[in-house]
Amino acid sequence: MSTSTTGPDRTARTARRPVQAAPRGVPQSPLEESGRGTRWVVAIVVVVAMLWTLVPLLWMLLSSFKNSADVTAATPQFLFTPVLDNYRNLFTGANNLWPYIWHSVLAAGISAVLAVCLGALAGYGLARTQMRGKKHLAFWIISTRMAPIAAIVVPLFLIFRGLGLIDSIPGLVLAYLSFNLPFAIWLMSAFFAEVPPSLEESALVAGCTRWQAFRTVILPLTKSGLVTTFVLCLVFAWNDYAFAVVFSGPNSQTLPIAASQLVTQTGIDWGQLTAIGTIVVIPMMLAGLAVRRWLVTGLTLGAVTGE
Amino acid sequence: MSRVLYDEATRIYPGSTQPAVDALDLDIADGEFLVLVGPSGCGKSTSLRMLAGLERVDGGRIAIGDRDVTHLPPRDRDIAMVFQNYALYPHMSVADNMGFALRVMKVSKDERDRRVLEAARLLDLEEFLDRKPKALSGGQRQRVAMGRAIVREPQVFLMDEPLSNLDAKLRVQTRTQIADLQHRLGVTTVYVTHDQVEAMTMGDRVAVLKDGILQQVDTPLGLYQHPANVFVAGFIGSPSMNLGEYRVEGDEVVFGGARVRLTRETLKALKEEGSDRVILGFRPEDVTMVGDGDQDDATFLVTATVVEELGSDAFLYGQYADTTDPRLLEQTVIARVDPNAPPAKGDRVRLRIVPGKGRLFSASTGLCLPA
Repeated sequence: MSTSTTGPDRTARTARRPVQAAPRGVPQSPLEESGRGTRWVVAIVVVVAMLWTLVPLLWMLLSSFKNSADVTAATPQFLFTPVLDNYRNLFTGANNLWPYIWHSVLAAGISAVLAVCLGALAGYGLARTQMRGKKHLAFWIISTRMAPIAAIVVPLFLIFRGLGLIDSIPGLVLAYLSFNLPFAIWLMSAFFAEVPPSLEESALVAGCTRWQAFRTVILPLTKSGLVTTFVLCLVFAWNDYAFAVVFSGPNSQTLPIAASQLVTQTGIDWGQLTAIGTIVVIPMMLAGLAVRRWLVTGLTLGAVTGE
Repeated sequence: MSRVLYDEATRIYPGSTQPAVDALDLDIADGEFLVLVGPSGCGKSTSLRMLAGLERVDGGRIAIGDRDVTHLPPRDRDIAMVFQNYALYPHMSVADNMGFALRVMKVSKDERDRRVLEAARLLDLEEFLDRKPKALSGGQRQRVAMGRAIVREPQVFLMDEPLSNLDAKLRVQTRTQIADLQHRLGVTTVYVTHDQVEAMTMGDRVAVLKDGILQQVDTPLGLYQHPANVFVAGFIGSPSMNLGEYRVEGDEVVFGGARVRLTRETLKALKEEGSDRVILGFRPEDVTMVGDGDQDDATFLVTATVVEELGSDAFLYGQYADTTDPRLLEQTVIARVDPNAPPAKGDRVRLRIVPGKGRLFSASTGLCLPA
């Protein structure tokens, strides 16, 4: 009996006790105290990283609008009259930039599209197949991406020469694909693994074939993965110099090759070089911004209970 | 609507020698609500997935109606399935989710819209048709999953623990709704759950599985009153049946200071088995509290360690008091007692099994012995 009477009393006393706020200025918890210091360190690191990335780009962009005297001036010119001479010179004359841009667009675009299509199919298979040694297979696929380009350039060159693919867009596409496809398979496989298998099972029960389930249910859910993979493959191929310098020729030279041709033994045309650099960087920066939007999108939210 | 037949259906997972489902024989009548129940890993979900065509059948066959569907792909089986996680398509609206199967079947848009709206009305989902699944609560998502199955108008509904993600109150409410809906639609339904209360309250019949083997299939009351073996006896019922292995002396079983006379049939079965031990089981509600004046050989003393007062019921959890046998002292005896005058913790109460309510099982095979 005594237990039952003291119980409610104790509860009542606890309920009446006033809740005291922590004194102003005193940290609420050790975690919060350490959090402030950490925040400052993070802020400093972010500012340094941002300057490290943006200053060269800004220097390149500004230099591309300077005349040759301002570009090569011993004292950096921050105030100058912007001119379009460097860009005009790139697109006029016998050796203008248009063919290089076209080759870059074709080689990078086609290889990225193929990498995404084939990578999605293979990645789906890899994510869903239950077989012995699956992890080893997945590692083997990605390990082919780990080899330095120099290690595979010579054997590829011999194969391409035998197949007549040197100095051709298909040759460049194939070269980029050899490097991008393992990456695309690996990345897409990770995205497919995130999709609950019950979604495609539900589609199969609803009357879909395996292909229909993949197309109508799984692919739309991995849209962010497809876009991310496409842009990353595109950036790699667009920026590539090593493959292009070995496999391309007059009929297939890309933008990085055009940039390299401005560095000659008699001198460097800094104005045109920075203008090409700007032309190369801007489309990829825009693509990067697009990836940023998709990367953070969790399309599978709400797919299963509790999410 | 169709009859479903499992004929020695077997599934052995690659790399395993033990079948996940071992020669399952089940005949589910047209329009029946059959519940597959059992502990985790007993093969109940595998059995359901075999029927759905999502799991290969390694032996035996499965038929829906007159068709042998053993090796047919899921899309050709004319079934609808509600998954444990609902498996709603997050990129589609509720209406598109519900009408997805009809779109795949190339049903006209008008007909599709009509059937979706009809199901939405039935499930009180009309106002959510344009929403995406992530904007719904757990209970609403569950109803959408049900709606997706209903719209299809299939021959068989398959449900794989569809209530396990709901909170306790909603689960009780929804299980009544599902049972009612199934009754109204009259579609043959196979329902998987690990919750024996869900099984007992929803199914026309309940099939109990353990280690891939069907233990018993019967009506809920049949399973409760006439369990075929010790496993079913212990699994069905909450609180579970009191079970203990005791010595047989002469024509009586001796436990906790009590002696209960065995019938001639039981003794004959024990003699054939050559055993002097038997498993005795009794439900918590099949004992009565007796006063000291009514003490006889068939009564036993229990010390109450916990008393659960639930309002409408009260359950005593205790230990045999009148014994020194360490095995008996470890056993917990559960008894339903008068909720208006329950004993206190620490009290010693005298109990008696209601005559004819004790269940006896073979100590070697676990099977029910004739009473």
